[in-house]
Amino acid sequence: MDEQEKTLEMMLEEVEGIIASIQQRDISLEDSFSLYQQGVETLKLCSGRIDAVEKKLLVLNEDGQLEELS
Amino acid sequence: MTKNVYTVGQVNSYIRNMFAQDFMMSRIYVKGEVSNCKYHPSGHVYFTLKDESGSLGAVMFASNRKGLAFPMRNGDNVIVLGTVSVYERDGRYQLYAKEIILDGAGALYRRFEALKQELEEMGMFAEEYKQPIPRYAGRVGIVTASTGAAIRDIQNIAARRNPYTQLILYPALVQGEGAAESIVQGIRALDAMGLDVLIVGRGGGSMEDLWVFNEEEVARAIFDCETPVISAVGHETDVTIADFVADLRAPTPSAAAELAVFDLRKLLEDLKSLRMALNRGISDQLSDWQSRLKHQEERLYLLRPENLLNQRRSYCLDLEQRLTQQMERKLLEVKHRLSLCAQGLEGASPLKKLSQGYSVVTDIEGRSVVEAEQVRKGDPLRIQLFRGRLKAQVTEVLKDG
Repeated sequence: MDEQEKTLEMMLEEVEGIIASIQQRDISLEDSFSLYQQGVETLKLCSGRIDAVEKKLLVLNEDGQLEELS
Repeated sequence: MTKNVYTVGQVNSYIRNMFAQDFMMSRIYVKGEVSNCKYHPSGHVYFTLKDESGSLGAVMFASNRKGLAFPMRNGDNVIVLGTVSVYERDGRYQLYAKEIILDGAGALYRRFEALKQELEEMGMFAEEYKQPIPRYAGRVGIVTASTGAAIRDIQNIAARRNPYTQLILYPALVQGEGAAESIVQGIRALDAMGLDVLIVGRGGGSMEDLWVFNEEEVARAIFDCETPVISAVGHETDVTIADFVADLRAPTPSAAAELAVFDLRKLLEDLKSLRMALNRGISDQLSDWQSRLKHQEERLYLLRPENLLNQRRSYCLDLEQRLTQQMERKLLEVKHRLSLCAQGLEGASPLKKLSQGYSVVTDIEGRSVVEAEQVRKGDPLRIQLFRGRLKAQVTEVLKDG
């Protein structure tokens, strides 16, 4: 699945899975490094997904247009 | 016949006046069963009230529609407050309704139960159709009145939990005439926008006020909505058909906002703790590998050739030492035996005899002379003393016996 299509929820679950894998004792060092990298990248994507712009309430008017509540 | 002839208009007008002057007729409650109920596009509602004894035509004008809070249908037993007056054109008197309420406690409740059962049997409340509410909705649609407690509560909660969530309101009528159509339209319009979740509801009110959320068309619109729907009607104790058909029922609009709008602080904390867990995971993994490496290093150190050589060398040294020791002991043993032999030998030494005055006599060829007959008179002899030698000559041979 494309990174853009993943929901925040899916990405968080992914990171949880990665953490569980890293904690396994029989994982190879290379694998744990690439998982770690993947985890850090995904967390970065998660943070990036938080659109930190304050939103005003929009109203859908009769013409199907969105306008700010006056 | 010529006296007192009146026109139709005059008669109808006269009778109309009679009704108008009658105090009772100007404000009267009439109860009966509804039939021939017609909702005219103009907004007027025409119907007939009847009981066993007869019938009474009735109309509610669009301007009075506020007085009808529920969808009236044929067969409903109602109480109508209104005025009885004459419709001059037809010469008919009829009831001009101002308010209509369902007659008898529990009438609405019975209708609610009947519809609930019907929809339940159709499977519209089935768990398998319930969609999960997304945990991290970015855009939340709201179908409710643009004024009123519900939208204010939702806005407040959303602003507190996550001011970055986009709320989109479809201002809908939530009671009275046209409310059902308005709500259905709102659900469809917001559904078409592909939002993450919808809140459909209103603040508290009487059962009649909330009635639109028990309408079948509203229930169907919620059921057909592709976007997950949270119902939020009235207070905790108010349960409507919309609640059963929605993907999730919130007890109040505020609660719906809590369910639809995720807590940003909580998410940031979650991200932080995930990052920490990830770092802990990799550093645990690293120190684990480090200790494994150290262990192997130690094993390898013991096995390196230099070490093996040292081991061999010290083994050789050890062997050498043991060999020397053994050798020395053997030597001592031999020396000891030798000295014992030497002592024994000394006792038997000819030199000792010589020192005691004995001497060895040989002929000129060095043969020992042990018998007198070996020599003749005049033979040279050699005599070995303890110290020094003598040359001698036989002067006489004497035989024993």
